[in-house]
Amino acid sequence: MNIKETLFALCSADGASGSESPAAQLALDLLREYCPDAEIVSGNVIGRFGVHTEDKPSLVLDAHIDQVGMIVTHITDEGFIKVSNLGGLDLRLLPAQPVTVHGKRDIKGVVCSVPPHLLSGSAEVLPIADTAVDTGMSKSELEEIIAPGDPITFDVPCRELLGSRVTAHALDDRSGVAAILYALSLLREMETAFNVTVIFSTQEELGERGAKIGAFTVDPDYAIAVDVSFAYAIGEKENKCGKLGKGPMIGISPCLDRELSQELIACASAGDIPYQVEVMEGLTSTNADRYSVNREGAKVCTVSIPLRNMHTPVEVIDLADVELTGELLAAFIGREV
Amino acid sequence: MKELLRELCLTDGVSGGEKDIRELIIEKVRGVCEYRTDPLGSLICFKKGRKSPAKKLMVCAHMDEVGFIITSVRSDGTLTFGTVGGIDPSVIIGRQVVVCNYVSGKRYNGVIGSTAVHNLSKEEREKSPRTDSLYIDIGAADKEEAEKYVSPGDNAFFTSGFSELGERRILSKALDDRCGCAMMIQLMHEELEYDTYFVFNVQEEIGLRGSQASAYSVDPDFAIVLECTTAADIDGAEGAKKVCSLGGGPVVSFMDRTTLYDKELYCLAFDIARENSLPCQTKSMVAGGNDAGSIHVSRGGVRTLTVSVPCRYLHSASGVIEYADMENSYKLVRLLTERIHTL
Repeated sequence: MNIKETLFALCSADGASGSESPAAQLALDLLREYCPDAEIVSGNVIGRFGVHTEDKPSLVLDAHIDQVGMIVTHITDEGFIKVSNLGGLDLRLLPAQPVTVHGKRDIKGVVCSVPPHLLSGSAEVLPIADTAVDTGMSKSELEEIIAPGDPITFDVPCRELLGSRVTAHALDDRSGVAAILYALSLLREMETAFNVTVIFSTQEELGERGAKIGAFTVDPDYAIAVDVSFAYAIGEKENKCGKLGKGPMIGISPCLDRELSQELIACASAGDIPYQVEVMEGLTSTNADRYSVNREGAKVCTVSIPLRNMHTPVEVIDLADVELTGELLAAFIGREV
Repeated sequence: MKELLRELCLTDGVSGGEKDIRELIIEKVRGVCEYRTDPLGSLICFKKGRKSPAKKLMVCAHMDEVGFIITSVRSDGTLTFGTVGGIDPSVIIGRQVVVCNYVSGKRYNGVIGSTAVHNLSKEEREKSPRTDSLYIDIGAADKEEAEKYVSPGDNAFFTSGFSELGERRILSKALDDRCGCAMMIQLMHEELEYDTYFVFNVQEEIGLRGSQASAYSVDPDFAIVLECTTAADIDGAEGAKKVCSLGGGPVVSFMDRTTLYDKELYCLAFDIARENSLPCQTKSMVAGGNDAGSIHVSRGGVRTLTVSVPCRYLHSASGVIEYADMENSYKLVRLLTERIHTL
């Protein structure tokens, strides 16, 4: 599996929270190579990997398929599209940002930017309720194509940076999806210590809602949320961040299973897989928080890919971390035949 | 003219680094005029007309665009930068850029990064970032790696495609002032009634520098500045605050922050528009400024007018114009270059 090509394809498919279909359909197609019976269940992509036997505990590998974005709320008489946010957007970077509005067909737009003479020196960020998208179309033209509830995503190409670093939008969490697919490609020739089910879940950015119903549907003993976390650059707190290119960040937190964290660490050490430890004081704000309290409860952990500029059109990761994350998951799950 | 505009917009040329855009313009005007590059880099062209007029007319536009200059390489491999020209930090944060090594000419993809929104205080989230809190990330692992590719003084540019927005509008970077450059190039390919100087100026965005020198050299009696100016007809803006509107035709202002325009020329422009059923608008606020500021007080004074294409989100990677405004600006300017000699 070519990680970069897979990841760029995944990032180029749109899937704002609640409108994940294009991205989910692509992820389903990719997953079926390893899980032929995979299907979309209530929005979530769910696939059982390998032969499940009664003697093994069950494990879910989860990555969320949605991405942050915006949603159409209203079309003004002048033809501007009023919006609300889907997920935790950085409103500071919205002005003049190119976007795609997904209606009956996709149309280009740009977020209105207020020129200096109308700001009178104020540096206040415009609240989302005052934010509008300009498509160059009139109200009547727009009403043929767009309706309230339609999703909006950032319009930005995937690009390579130096070395194995790349930038794209939706690397949060298509990187996790790619890492799981890569793990499955490594596991194909191996036995597994678990009955593995993969879930690419919806609506994580709105409060892990897809994972909540996915967890109920699959009801696993163990779950690993494969997501992204903060990568250091000057300006961030060094002790709160991982480093790009230094391997997956294994979570330790009161709400995660400490033994599972330790097993993942031991597994990385034994396999000479570079890793980093991410210590959190409470909830992880990942899907792990949903799996742990599903039904009667499950043992969960996070394995995160370090990422800069989270929730922006210019997220940055190191492809090496995706590869190492896949290797760690495969090493943890797989057993030599 | 749209295809020409596309080519001009997609060629980079930050103030002080106009080499590539100048070479493209030379390629476009070679054979239709005499030209020379002045010491600052402005391109001064002269085209013969059917007649040699009593008074000298200079038509000009600036070829530079706003952008960035690398100021240092940090320990984590990220780059600090300054803005070249006035750019609001809210349209800098979260964009893709290209950094160009001055010596090798090689280009590197980068992004403008900042602290993740999750890790900001409520106050920080609700304030526009300061430019000095942002950085350019080209993917270097550390300072040593970054220094192999980039040095302080190298320029960075916005990247954006040139695309249609709806059926009537265009979305691109650098419309300010490649619109003016495109109109001039087009005009230079026409048969002219009168001898005319055409100047593509450098360094407008950092304080009308190129035009100060070139206006001295050309020493014109009349000047027409072709520009691209802020239209604020956006959601929430009302009345005079819109300044000017897309679709309203060329913008001819009586006054901006750098110039009180020649009243007779101002009236002539609206007369021509009326006689030829061209839309034409003025600015409803005294805002903006352009090379007219340095030209009209050049030597003993130059009678000057600016004709601008209205543009939303002017100094960003995503400017928006209505193409018809550019066509109508062109028609107006063409008529002006003839009628101006009757004054």
